[in-house]
Amino acid sequence: MNFREGFWSIYREALPVLLVALVGGLFSGLVLEELLESVARFPGLLVMVPVFLATRGNVYGALGGRISSGLHQGLIPPEFEWNDRLVNAVLASFVNGVTISAVIGVLSWIVLQLLGWPSAALSELVAIMLIAGTLTSIVLIFGLLGILFGGYKLGYDPDNLVGPIVTTLGDVFGMVFLFVAVAVVEVVFV
Amino acid sequence: MAAGADLGSWDARTIVSNMLPLLVVLCTIVLWAGITLNEAEALLDEYGLLAVMVPTMVGAGGNLGTILSSRLTTRLHLGTTELDLRDRVLWANVAAVLALAATVFTTLAAGAWVIGQLIGAPLALSALLTISLVSGMSVAVIAVVFGLAATYGSYRLGIDPDDTTIPIVTNVVDVFGMLIFIGVSTLVLG
Repeated sequence: MNFREGFWSIYREALPVLLVALVGGLFSGLVLEELLESVARFPGLLVMVPVFLATRGNVYGALGGRISSGLHQGLIPPEFEWNDRLVNAVLASFVNGVTISAVIGVLSWIVLQLLGWPSAALSELVAIMLIAGTLTSIVLIFGLLGILFGGYKLGYDPDNLVGPIVTTLGDVFGMVFLFVAVAVVEVVFV
Repeated sequence: MAAGADLGSWDARTIVSNMLPLLVVLCTIVLWAGITLNEAEALLDEYGLLAVMVPTMVGAGGNLGTILSSRLTTRLHLGTTELDLRDRVLWANVAAVLALAATVFTTLAAGAWVIGQLIGAPLALSALLTISLVSGMSVAVIAVVFGLAATYGSYRLGIDPDDTTIPIVTNVVDVFGMLIFIGVSTLVLG
């Protein structure tokens, strides 16, 4: 393969995926802009945003990679069924996703204390993360599995689908549910 | 789940205990991006359009690094490449990633400009292009360097790059994305 052929094949293959991720990113950016108004009520909220988004990619990217290998190896069928492997993989990523969300709340609070910056209460930050983390987990797990199974049956290589699906769904639903969580905690913790 | 022993690497408890420590490490890394974002709150309040660009700036560097790494990993697994700087396909990959970055970050600036007009918080297209391309291309170069180093490093050490190296590199690159984006925005607008 010469330079020119290699260059264009990679460019053409990756561009659509990156542009879809960009649309997701811009949408979640709009939600973040709306969220800025809540920063006055919950100081330190912004510290959690990049970590929360990046973690969605880490947790569900791993789930997607596992499911995609499982499909390739014939270990799991492309169906929502009570399969021991599938149930374990889903359960593990749910536990990881929710636990790490709580950890983000605690770590952010500790960092804010160490820096001496204004901070919302520990319980408020953890509650926001737990609500947002749980809602995002549910949507991402079922969305990811649905698209991977459907794509696999249509003949797409699941390996190429995982990255963009996780980034786009993670950005969009992560920010939307963060917004929802902030609204809920605002009402509950008067 | 009595058949836990037969599930091997698909056992939920194994997945959680393998992944959760790594997730906590990744969180601690990306927390720096959050601290940077929190510090830039005044800038974001003044120019809300910057917030719209944040999720893409945080994610895109990592995405580009992953595209490069996963292609190189596949080639290394297939035995079609060694660490050889004269390898033409290697440079085709690098050039394609940089071209993808140029396309994505130009589109990001254009998209942000359109959103600015729609939500009534406009910034000049030239300022948006400068911010997006200068920070985006810097992050892309960092993603290429780290992506190459991580892939070959873990190959030499006999670690599967998919397991630890790639996630760590993506998250580190995400942090650089935020630092550079806020830095460049401050220079251009501040």
